[in-house]
This record gives sequence, C-alpha cells and structure tokens, in this order.
Amino acid sequence: MTFMPVDTETVLRVQDLHTHFFTDTGIVKAVNGVSFDLLRGERVAIVGESGSGKSAMAMSLIRLLAFPGKIVSGRIDVAGNEVASLPESELNKIRGSLVGTVFQDPMSSLDPVMRVSDQMIPPVMRHLEVSHKEGEAIAERWLGRVGIPDAKLTIRAYPFEMSGGMRQRVMIAMALSCNPRLIIADEPTTALDVTIQAQIVELLKDLTAETGASMLFVTHDLGLVARFAHKVGVMYAGKLVELGPAADVFAQPRHPYTQGLLRSIPDAADGTRKRLFQIPGFPPDMRLPIVGCAFADRCAAVRDICRTEAPESTYRGVNHFASCWAPTGLDQSVVERQVKMPERIVEAELSPDPVRADALRSDVLEMNNIHKHFVRRSILPWTEAKTVHAVNGVSLRVKRGETLGIVGESGCGKSTVARLLLGLEEPTAGEIFINGSAQMVFQDPYSSFNPKMKIFDIIEEPLVVNGQSSRTERADKVCSLVSQVGLDQSFLGRYPNQLSGGQRQRVAIARALALDPSVVVADEPTSALDVSVRAQIVNLLCDLKDELGISFVFISHDLLTVRYISDRIAVMYLGEVVEYGPAAQIFDDPLHPYTRALLLAIPTPDPVREAARKIELVTGELPSPFVLQKGCAFASRCPKVADRCRTEKPVLRNFSRQRETACHYAA
Amino acid sequence: MLAYSLKRLLQLVVSTFGVVTLVFFTLRLIPGDAAAALAGDTITGEALERLREQMGLNKPILAQYLTYLWDLVTLRFGETITTGLPISGLLSQAFPITLSIALATITLSLIIAVPLGAMAAFMAHKGRKTLDNLITTAAMLADLMPSFWTGLVFLLFFSLMLGLFPASGMVSFDDPVTFLKRIALPVMVLSVTQIATMARITRTAVLEVLSEDYIRTARSLGWSEVRVLFRHALKNAALPIVTIVGLSFGSLLNGTVIVEFIFTIPGLGSLLVNGINSRDYQLVQTLIVFYALFFVSVNLVTDLIYKQIDPRVQL
Repeated sequence: MTFMPVDTETVLRVQDLHTHFFTDTGIVKAVNGVSFDLLRGERVAIVGESGSGKSAMAMSLIRLLAFPGKIVSGRIDVAGNEVASLPESELNKIRGSLVGTVFQDPMSSLDPVMRVSDQMIPPVMRHLEVSHKEGEAIAERWLGRVGIPDAKLTIRAYPFEMSGGMRQRVMIAMALSCNPRLIIADEPTTALDVTIQAQIVELLKDLTAETGASMLFVTHDLGLVARFAHKVGVMYAGKLVELGPAADVFAQPRHPYTQGLLRSIPDAADGTRKRLFQIPGFPPDMRLPIVGCAFADRCAAVRDICRTEAPESTYRGVNHFASCWAPTGLDQSVVERQVKMPERIVEAELSPDPVRADALRSDVLEMNNIHKHFVRRSILPWTEAKTVHAVNGVSLRVKRGETLGIVGESGCGKSTVARLLLGLEEPTAGEIFINGSAQMVFQDPYSSFNPKMKIFDIIEEPLVVNGQSSRTERADKVCSLVSQVGLDQSFLGRYPNQLSGGQRQRVAIARALALDPSVVVADEPTSALDVSVRAQIVNLLCDLKDELGISFVFISHDLLTVRYISDRIAVMYLGEVVEYGPAAQIFDDPLHPYTRALLLAIPTPDPVREAARKIELVTGELPSPFVLQKGCAFASRCPKVADRCRTEKPVLRNFSRQRETACHYAA
Repeated sequence: MLAYSLKRLLQLVVSTFGVVTLVFFTLRLIPGDAAAALAGDTITGEALERLREQMGLNKPILAQYLTYLWDLVTLRFGETITTGLPISGLLSQAFPITLSIALATITLSLIIAVPLGAMAAFMAHKGRKTLDNLITTAAMLADLMPSFWTGLVFLLFFSLMLGLFPASGMVSFDDPVTFLKRIALPVMVLSVTQIATMARITRTAVLEVLSEDYIRTARSLGWSEVRVLFRHALKNAALPIVTIVGLSFGSLLNGTVIVEFIFTIPGLGSLLVNGINSRDYQLVQTLIVFYALFFVSVNLVTDLIYKQIDPRVQL
C-alpha cells in the first residue's frame, strides 16, 4: 500500500459500459453502466460474486467476449485507443502488446499441444518486430523473471509437463512479454493452492511495480484484494456499487453489499466464534428489468425509495463512491433490524474447554497408521512399478460432536483420507474404526446428483438403499430433513438444475444426514460457493453440529473457514500429518514450519494488517509423489531445514498435552 | 514406447488369430462347399467325393484347421481352390488398385471436408447460423445417399454426358494419367460420404475446441481469427479427425465392393465377392486375414499419429 502511482497518466478509462449477452432465453444484461479510471501503475481489484458481471466487464475491455456477448454502449479508452469501436485488425495490434491478459485456470489456458516456445515467441516477434532469435531471448528472459528455473529448458516443454503454478507463471510471462501498459487478470490465482497463490500475487505485485503497468484484477477473494490492490471496485448485478481506495473501502465500507461481504468472512484474529453474517436471498435474474436498486431485496437497510429508483454513484470520501440511498449503508438501520433477521449475529458460546470435554466424549472415529499406496505397473516385467504414497501413516481420532479440520495443499492426500473414511478405498495398511456410520458431502453437489432425479428422490435414496422403513416413514423423514437444512418443502419436486449452488449443497447435506450418521465427511463443501452463500452453509453446518451432536471431518484448503468451523485441525503434507491440535492454538502459534508457511500465505481481508505483515513465502512446489522422501517430506521447501531433516524422518510426537507435531526443531 | 509397441504387437497376433479361427469355422457353416460350387450341377455322387478328396475337404475339420494355420505361419497362402491360381499373385494385383482408390479418396475428402467443417464450426461459434446450417444440412444429405445411387448418377453425368472419365476399361499402372482418370469416378463416389462424415466430425470437434480457454488466450495475444482457427483450434481438434480417417481407411478397403462392381474395377472387393460366390475357402480366408492385419495396422498407425499430434497421449 506504500506504492502510489508516480504520475497521474490515465491508462484506462471506462465510461458507462454496457455489455449484454443475447441468449435464446433473453438478453442477459451482464454489465450495466460501469465507469472508472485506472492510472499508470495502479492496481484495481474488481470483486463480486459469480454472475455479478465482473468477468464480462473485464473481457469487454479487450473485446474478448464469447458469443453471444456484445458491448452495447459505452466508451473504453486504453491508452488513447477506443477499444469499443476499433476494427478487429487494429484491435489485434493492441491485444498482447498494449494489453496483456492473464486468465483464471492455468491448466486450460495454455494450448496443450504446443510447446511453450511456440506459444510465446511468435507474439513477441509480431508485436515487438524482432527476429525469432531475439524473440526467443526475450521469452526466456521473461520466463526467468517470473521465477521459472531453467528457462532455456522450460521453454521447450509442453504445458502438461508443468504444475499449475508453473503454468500460471508462463501465462504471466506471456502477458508481460510485450511490455503491456495494462494487465487484465481474471481470477489469476483462484485455481491455485494458497502457498502458490501467495507466490503469484507477490510476483504480479512486484512486476507491475517494476514495469509501471496498470492492472485490473478480477477476484472474489477479499483477502487477496487487501493484499494487492490500490483501489477496489465492488460489482453487483452488472454495476460498480462501490469504488474507492482499498484502505477506505475495507475500513469504512459504505454499500450494504460490501458491508455484508466483509462480515461474512470468518475473522482469523478473533478467537470467539460468532455466527457468520449472511446475505439472504440471491442475486437478481439479469434477464429481467431491474427497477430501483438491484440489491434492495437482499438489503437490510432497504427503504421505499430503493424499490423505485436506482441510486446514483455518489461521493463518500476522497475517490470513494457508493451507489446507495443510505449514506453509510447498513450501519444505522442494521441494529434495529438485527433482531428480526433470522441471520442475526449471535455471540456463540466459546467452545468448551477441550481437556474437560475429552473426558466426556468417546471416540466415534479412529484411524490407526493408515497407508494408501497407488501402484502403477508397466506391462514390461523388468521395469519397476511406480508407487504413489497418497497416504503415508496417518493416525487420527474424532470424538463425538467434534469437528476435525484437515488442511493441506492439493496432492497432500486429504481427499484420499476422506475416501478411506467412507470405505470408498481400501487402505493398503492400517485400521479404521467408526462407531456408527459415515456419510459424505462433496465439493460439487451438482455433479454428485443424478440430474434426472427429483430432490425428494435424491434425499430418499439412502433410505431406500438402507431398506428399513416404509414409504410413509421415508416421506416423513425426507420432509424433516429438508426443513432441518433450511429448505422449503416446495423444493422436493424440483430437479437439481433448478437449484442454486447453495441450495444444492443443502440438499447434499440433507442426503448425508438421512441415515443418522455419526460422522459426516465434508470434502471442500464450500469451495464451489460464493462468499455470501458460503457463510450460509458454514452456519448451517455449525447449527447441525450443535443440534445433532454429529462429528464432522471438514476437509478444505480454505483455512479461514476450517479454523472457524473446526475444534481440532490436522495439517497434512505429502500424505502425512505434520501437525495436529486444537484449532485456535494451531492458528495462534503454529509449530511446524509448513503450518506457519500456510498461515502466512492466507491473505486476510484487512489492508492495514496485510501491509504490516512481512510475508515470508514458502519457496518451490510439492516434490514428486512417486519418490518417497527419506527425511522430512517438507525438507525441500523448509526455511529452517538442517542436515538432520534430510536424513532422518521426524515422527508425529506429542509437543504438549493436546498438540502433536512432526518436526525435529519444533519449539 | 517400447512397452507400448510390444503390447500392440501381442494384440495384433491375438486378434489376427481370433479372426483366422472365426473365419475358418464360419465359412464352413455355410451350406455347400467349394467342391460343390466348383462342380456345379454337372458332377454328382462319387465323382464329387473324389473331387473333395483332391481338394482336401474330406479330412476332419480340425485337421484342415491345423494345416491351414501352419500354412499361414509359414506364409504359404496357397492357390485358389476353384481356379488354382496362386493367391499371392491375385493379391498383389488387386491390392495396389484398392489401396490407390482408398488413399485418393481419403486425400480428396480431407482437403475438402476439414476446411468446410472448420468453417462451419467457426460460424456456429460466432452465432452466424446460416452458413453452418447450410453445410450441416448438405453433409447430412450427402451422407444419406447410397453409393450405388451416386455411382450411377456420376456415371451418367461425368462419363456419359460430359465424357470426362471412362466408365470402364483396363486398370493398369503403366500410365499414371490414364490410371487416375480411370479411378476418378469411384474415388468421387466414395468421397461423397467420406466428406460428409469428416466434415461433420470436424465441425463438432472444432466447435468444442473453440470454446476452450486456450483459444481465448490465443486471441488475447492478438492473433487473427483465421490463425486461431487453423493453428490452434484445428490442431487440438485433430484427434477425432484422425480417428475417423483411420476408420474410413479400413472401411474403404472393404466397402468398395459395390463401387468396384459398378465401375468394373478388379480390386480386393471384387476378389472377395467372387471368392464367396464360389465358396473358395482358401481365397476368402486369406483375404479376410489380410483385411484383419491391415485394419489392426491402420489402428496402430492412428495411435502413433495421436502421439505425434498430442504429446499428452500416453502410449
């Protein structure tokens, strides 16, 4: 936040942009009058939930909209070029040279059948008018600059030979290779692990500061915004409802939507477990005309005027604008309305003292030294079979009514643990005891439902399979289950595609609860959901835990949510648990260097704290799962690595009464 | 790669053996045998039995089978039962003709179908439906036309009305121009359906690829639509096209029977039909084994091409 643009040259000026999608079922007005300026070297973050039009807006800036999207009106000025009316051939001279673009999913954004060199060098040759040799040198220099080791070798590689983080670095190198003045980044880190995400964000920050390029950064992660942006624009229903300097917007949000979003994120620093604020309802259907303020139906501070007249963007402070009839948004009215709102913020009791609780509760789940190896054999008898040690000696216990959070980066074996718990995989070695039964809630509820089955049948199915109840008993049970997860009975006759993401996840939870399990294993249950909906699901899970006394195993890479919901946390790295203990203690005082690195990597939605924090990034990536590490699995990335770590494997040992860690030097 | 080649070689041996066995026994399920077919209505009774003895048809069927297998392994294809000509000679005459027709058909079809399909996909992607609908409908119609009908129409039009290509005559490789003129009509007839199928497959594959993220990336780098379509999209859509080419190639070697008949081409198809009609076990068996070997080899080549196009393909 210390960097301020050196001069006030405007690189991008957007005026009253309207982008519509002309679909068969109607005109989707994705972008509805967006205006803002971007100065040289300035980084603006555009935040909003899915469907808010943020990506459509970003893609409009360089006219990369897919059919049937079309810019209907408005002006887009990129360094003196009128993008909206430029002929295609002229536009192609700007794309890739004046404007660089970084996309969301590095796994799919690079051409899979072309070498990096073939994708990177020709654009450089074209835009900078250099020979192939010079182009190659430039490309290699950029690959080195974005932190790719062995650029000369990597440039000959195919994308599939690289990890996601590496591919995103290649993407960034491609976007920057022709010295653009504007970089458009559409959720550039969403598909990456936290430690890699932190690396990429730092990289983008450094590179924009060095080159003086401006950047428009689309994201739904408010923590990233705090870490990264000078300016924030909050989009809702195709409009920028709030726009201002990042520090101001986070310290004093003025629009009720921004205020709601910021309150719906669990607070890492706050030890007490408050109920998460949730924004009720759904975003409006963008095909229908919107009368008044689009947020009115979900707003706690709604007034009569909101329903008839749309608020203009009005001045709320230096460079800070909000579109709301209430000058301070929620603050004044929210207090009176809190009581009436079902989603009121309640001070929950502090979780009971774990030591005392341990004595009262019995274990419902126990895993003893579980191993799961996947073996890939070749047809040639003389070659050695390759073994992936997905889970490598994991012992975990869950007590009745307790929530165990399992965190770790992709490939650490956390999902395999979930599958083992449910008996979907046989462990190679070790034992699992479950007192009762276990059920599962998946990440993507839509793909875990049969699309041809009605909601009633989906929830009833486990009861039918179980075969212990009559038809009427089952119908009663289904009805009570849906009301338990906060859905109306009218949903029972619908199909999964008629439900929103949050509603589907509620159905998934109802299905998991149908057989009264003692443990529910939830594998990334909130990562496919938007922030405001995520808060609803997290609240629901907490309620169910309290009401039913069910134990949860909550697997996620979203550390803030894990911390919020879990009593205990197990941190996994390469198939092993490296740290285990009460959630609060792990967050406040991590013992293992890997846990520390993970926690440092999570951005918190507070620009002041982010600026003050010194981010010590973990370097490198996960080592190959095919090679079993002789010493500590984390040795290759550990900042505190010593010789002993490379030769002797640290075992998970008791550190204090409740905490265990697998590090030689934990203190 | 080595493991893969070994695996495929093993597959080749196993599937060929399966085909040989199946063909040997099914052929003998057909009522009437080669001796009866050869003899026609003239020879009956003892004379016919003697003929059977001469042809080795009186031995136990298992013994015949083993003899046949051994002959195959030692590459002795023998002579046709009915005419006594060496089978290897017949094959070496017919095969080049059929192969040329197949190759020419595939080449012609690819040249026309791929750009057409890519064009249709591009238009569909842009929402300009008219041209796409036109191409798709034309392809569907062409696919519906049976080759005996198109064969006759082409014969009438190109040969009788315009006099461009001969309708019949010697097929020899001596003069390339005459040869090409001679096979032009069959190639065109066969191409009609091939073009229709390939264009449709290309359209589907390219259309799918066009909405991929890396296509947007290519556009974001400033490449023109044409370059994006032909350099990025088509290369990524190539796998299904190669698959269909492989399959077509196989079926062209078998399916030319009707066309060969219409245009009196002495290819493999004619050879097979004659063999079946005269219950010439030896010839039919050998031909079918030959087809099988060819089919499996084409599949192998297809898979190797996959690897060339898409480095991600695991062999």
